Amino acid sequence: MIRLLVVGGFLGAGKTTLINRLLARAERRFAVLVNDFGSVAVDAALLAAADASSMTLANGCVCCSIGDDFGLALERVAAGGPELVVVEASGVSDPWRIAQLALVEPGYELGPLVVLADAADLPRLLADPAIGDVVRGQLAYADIVVLTKTDLAGERLVQTREVVRTIRPQAHVIEARHGEVGLAELDFAVPHERARFLATAAHPFRTWTWRDPRPFDRGALRALLGALPASVLRIKGFCGLDEEAGDFLLQYAAERWSFTRSGAGAERALVVIGTQALDPAYLAADFAAALR
Amino acid sequence: MAVRVYSARRVVTMDATTPEATHVAVRDGRILGAGGPELLGFYPGAVEDARFAGKVIVPGFVEGHAHASEGMVWRRPYLGFFDRTMPDGSTAPGARTRADALERLRTLEAELPPGEPLLVWGFDPIYDDGPRLHRRDLDAISTSRPIVVSHASGHIINVNTLVLERSGFSADSNLDGLLRDADGLTGELMGPPAMQRATRVAGGGGLMQRLDEPGLRAFARQAARAGITTATDLQRKLDDETLDLMRRVTAEPGFPMRLVAALGAREYTLAEGVARIGQLLGTGNEKLHLGIVKLTVDGSIQGFTGRLRWPGYHNGAPNGMWYIAPAELEGIVAAYLRVGAQIHIHTNGDEASAVAIDALEHVLARCPRPEHRTTLQHCQMADAAQFRRMAALGMAANLFVNHIYYWGEQHAALTAGPVRAPRMNAAATARREGVPVAIHSDAPVTPLGPLFAMWCVVNRLTSKGRVFAPAERLDVAQALHAVTLGPAWTLRLDHAIGSIAPGKFADFAVLEDDPFDVAPERLREIDVHATVVGGVVCLP
Repeated sequence: MIRLLVVGGFLGAGKTTLINRLLARAERRFAVLVNDFGSVAVDAALLAAADASSMTLANGCVCCSIGDDFGLALERVAAGGPELVVVEASGVSDPWRIAQLALVEPGYELGPLVVLADAADLPRLLADPAIGDVVRGQLAYADIVVLTKTDLAGERLVQTREVVRTIRPQAHVIEARHGEVGLAELDFAVPHERARFLATAAHPFRTWTWRDPRPFDRGALRALLGALPASVLRIKGFCGLDEEAGDFLLQYAAERWSFTRSGAGAERALVVIGTQALDPAYLAADFAAALR
Repeated sequence: MAVRVYSARRVVTMDATTPEATHVAVRDGRILGAGGPELLGFYPGAVEDARFAGKVIVPGFVEGHAHASEGMVWRRPYLGFFDRTMPDGSTAPGARTRADALERLRTLEAELPPGEPLLVWGFDPIYDDGPRLHRRDLDAISTSRPIVVSHASGHIINVNTLVLERSGFSADSNLDGLLRDADGLTGELMGPPAMQRATRVAGGGGLMQRLDEPGLRAFARQAARAGITTATDLQRKLDDETLDLMRRVTAEPGFPMRLVAALGAREYTLAEGVARIGQLLGTGNEKLHLGIVKLTVDGSIQGFTGRLRWPGYHNGAPNGMWYIAPAELEGIVAAYLRVGAQIHIHTNGDEASAVAIDALEHVLARCPRPEHRTTLQHCQMADAAQFRRMAALGMAANLFVNHIYYWGEQHAALTAGPVRAPRMNAAATARREGVPVAIHSDAPVTPLGPLFAMWCVVNRLTSKGRVFAPAERLDVAQALHAVTLGPAWTLRLDHAIGSIAPGKFADFAVLEDDPFDVAPERLREIDVHATVVGGVVCLP
C-alpha cells in the first residue's frame, strides 16, 4: 500500500518551502501532489523531465499538479509506484476532507495529517474574524503540527503552543526553525515492537496491535469505532466480520472510518497508533467485547 | 453599402435623447439612427424593411454572467423540474413529480447501449415534498448500470448502489459527504471529494469539459433564442486552442452572437494569469471581447460554501469556504489591474463581498485606476452600506435575481433565513445608492433568459408565489436597463452595445410583445421573434 501524507496549513505557513526541501533531499522515492504547480522550485540540476503538469527528478521523485479531480490525480500517481505520496492541500482548504478520501482510495493508506502553522502569526490568524474559523478547522484533525518561523516568534511561541494544544490536544507538535524537517519526522514515529510502551521524546506516538482471528460483530465494531478515545489516531488492518467469508480492510482516522472487502491472505490483526495516552488494556477489553 | 430602415410597432432604444421610435436605420452593421418614417428620406436609396412591422425592437440583450457550457450540458439528459429549451430548439420537458423523474430515467435506461453509465443533470428536488431520492429508487431502474443524478445546484449527486460499491462507499464507510439513514447509505453524496470519486468510477467526467465548436455554436443558438446578442463565458482557461476556436467562429459573418470570454484566474497561477491576459488585451475582434479576468472568492449560498457575515447560516451550518484567502486578494487584484485587465469577482455571501470591496479600496488608494469598473458577480447579500462603498469606489453589481425564484424558499428556510432571504439581491437599493446594476442567469445554473430575469426583478416572486421585499423591485424600464446597458457597462462595452443609438452595433432583440404593455407578471412569457447582430437577422 502507498502511504499518503497530507500537508495542510494556511497561506504563509511554509508548505511550499517544506515541499521544496523534501524534494531536494529525497530520502525515499516519493511523489508530491500540489495545487500551485508553478510554485515548486526544483533545482535545474535535479530535474530529469518536465511537462505542463508534472516534473520528474533525477532522484526518482515526481511532482504533479492535482488538477480538478484529486482522486484521479491519486490514481495516476499510483501508477508510477511511489513509496509515499505527499499531498499539499491548498492554503484555504480543509486538509482533513482530502485526507479521509484515502480511507477508501484503493491501494492507499492514510499516514498522519500534518498541518504547518506560522508560530509568529498563528494567534493573530485565529483571532481574524474572516479566516479564524478556516485556520482552526485546518488544525482540528492534525496528527502532527509543525510550527514554522519559530525564530521569529519570540515570546509568542508560548502562546502559539498553547492555542494549538487547546484546538488539538492529541497533536504532536514539532518546531522547524527554517523548514528543516526530515520526512521521517512527518510520520508516526513509533518505537520498535519490543519496547513499544517505552515512549520517549523521539517516539511521540504509541502503537499497539490487536491480534485475534475471530470475526467482529459488525454493529458492535461500528459502535466501538464511533466511541474511541481521542488518544486513538489511526487503526489499520484486517479483520473478519460476522459470518461473512474472507477479510475486510479496516482504516480509521479521527472519527472517520471505512471497512472494505479485501483480497485476503493477510493475518487478521489491527494496528492501532495513538498518542502517549493510548491505553492498550482499555482498548483490548473493548475489542474483545466487540467480537462476534 | 445600402441603408436598411427597419420599421416596427415600437422601438425602445434605452437612449435618453431618443427614447422611443418606430424606425431604425442600419448600415454596415451599425446603427445610423432611430426615429420615425422620416429616416427613409435622410438616406438616398434607403430600403424599408417591414418584416418586424408588428413587433417591438429593443436593444439586443446582454448576458453579463453565463457559461458556454450551456451549449454542452445538453449532451446529457436533463432531469430538472422546469421545461427548458435545448440548442436544437426542442423542449426538454420538466419532470414535475418524483414519478415523472423516475419514469424518465427508466425510459433513458432502456434506450442506452449496454455498459454505458446513465448520467443525468438538473435534478431539483426542492419542489418535491416527498422523501429524498434514495439509491433504492435508482436500483429499481438498474442494478447493473452506473446511475448518477446531478442536482441543479451542482453541489449534490444521487447514485445507485452499484456506484457506491465501485466507489468503495458502503454502510461500513463513515466519511464526510455520505448521507445515511437506518439502512446505511442513501446514495446521496455531497462535496467535491465524494462526488468526484463517484462520478469518476461511474465513467462520467465533469460537465465543464473543454469548449468545442459544436458547444460554442449551441451556446450562441441558446443565446439568440433568448434575445441575447452579447453573452459572456465568464470563467475559462483561455489556451491557444480555445482562443483559436473562438476567434475563428466569431469571425464568421453569420455567427449570431458577440462573445465576451473571461479568463478564469483559478485556471492559472497568478504570474501565468497576469501574463496571459496581458497577451490577450486588444486581440479580439468585433464579436470577441477579451481582457476580463474572473476571480472567485467564495462558494455558493445554497451549497453552504458562500462566506456569510454574522449571524451566518440560519440552520447553523458552519460558515463557507474561501477560494481565495482574504489577505491574498489585494495582491491579485493589484496585479491584474496593473496589467490593464478588467476584474469581475464572484462573491455570493456578504462577508466575501466585504473582503472584495476592502481589497479594491486598498489597491485603488495605492494605484488609482479610472474606469476600472470592477464588478461583483452575484453579490447576493450586499446591503445598503456595501452598495454605498461600491458606488464610491466605482464598482458595479451583477445580481443573481433568478435566485429569488429558484432558491428563494430554500434561502428563507435554511441559508439566509426568513429575515435576510427576502433582502437578497437588493436591486432597488443598489440603484438608489448609485451602483450600476446588471442581472444574470449564470446559465447553465438557471436558463438563459433576460426576460425571465426581468420578470424576477420586477416581481420578486419565489417558486411558491411569495413576494420577497417588494421595495426592492425594479420597474420595467430599470429592469430592461439591467439586461442591456447595465451589463454592457460592466463589460466596458457600453460605447458599442446596450442601446439603440447612432454609431453602435446594430444589435437588437425583436419581441412579439411590448414589455411595457404586458402585465408585469407576464414578462417572462414574452416570445423572442428574432435577434439582429451587427445588422444580420437571426431567426431562432
